[in-house]
Amino acid sequence: MPVDDALLTGLQAQLGIEHREELGEVSAVMIARYAAAVGETNPLYSDPDYARSRGHADIVAPSNLLAAVINWGPGAAYDRLREDGTEADTHLPGVPVAGVRVMGGGEEMTFARPVLAGTRVSRVTVLDDIGERSSNSGPMLVLRYRDRYRDGDGDLLLESVRTVLLR
Amino acid sequence: MSAGNDAAGLAARERSLAVGTELEPALQATSNVQVFRYSAATWNTHRIHYDRDYAVAEGYPGVLVQSHLHGAFLARYCTEWAGAEGRLLELGLRVRRFAVAGETLSVTGVVRAVARLTDDRAEVSLELTETRGSDGEVCVTGAARIEIPAGWLAQAGEGDGAGLPGGGRRSA
Repeated sequence: MPVDDALLTGLQAQLGIEHREELGEVSAVMIARYAAAVGETNPLYSDPDYARSRGHADIVAPSNLLAAVINWGPGAAYDRLREDGTEADTHLPGVPVAGVRVMGGGEEMTFARPVLAGTRVSRVTVLDDIGERSSNSGPMLVLRYRDRYRDGDGDLLLESVRTVLLR
Repeated sequence: MSAGNDAAGLAARERSLAVGTELEPALQATSNVQVFRYSAATWNTHRIHYDRDYAVAEGYPGVLVQSHLHGAFLARYCTEWAGAEGRLLELGLRVRRFAVAGETLSVTGVVRAVARLTDDRAEVSLELTETRGSDGEVCVTGAARIEIPAGWLAQAGEGDGAGLPGGGRRSA
């Protein structure tokens, strides 16, 4: 599917619609593994005693952990993977599973409060804006998705605005 | 990457920040193992990050550093600089060029705006750049807003009550 009227109409139908997901718990192991993978050495991300000495009830997740996790569930079966290894659930409401080229165009994150081990996280995703642009390879759509991550009490943890380019 | 919040770093930073101040650059090594572990930790199954044959067929010289890992490097640069007394409020980034695993990346920051929030607290806006060590090309550009102790700001106009450089503006 190229960037055409049918794709645009499908996306316009998504504008402003909230998609809410329960993502699950940010566990201590998840945080420590993420920090280890990045190469973080700050004990805030791995040592509960140190975290308590800094006024937190438990270890804290590195700033962009919530935004970086691609899949919070068990993952798709092998026969549900695309050629490039990715899963069909793209976290991009309105974007078809196949036929359109998807590129990241940047991300802006606002960190509302620290994310502690044991926090249950939900996410609301909204397609906020659709722009059109021409490129060397034909028309291109510029999408802005807003993700709001909240804890079990409904308090905002992170707001992320992702720019996604389609062509 | 070296932490910016040791005693010497703090002493050097005290009363020194103003628009145009260049922060200490930090080097960030990358490796195949790191990129694999990051994919595992985030359940990123894209072959471009672990299947070299696939990456080469796509036109890249090796497996690629994830965009979120670039983001983690910028976040780390900011939080290490801010230390326990500072707080990262916002981070925005855009990946301009790829980086292959094994590349050494350099992160730099320049103060673009400062604003005093209260007597004790202030806010600084940084322009961030991540470049490839192999050829100096820019991989990532970004911007951060960080809350800091007001004592880190240069005392422009001290004694006459004049504003700080860029004072009062809040821009990312």
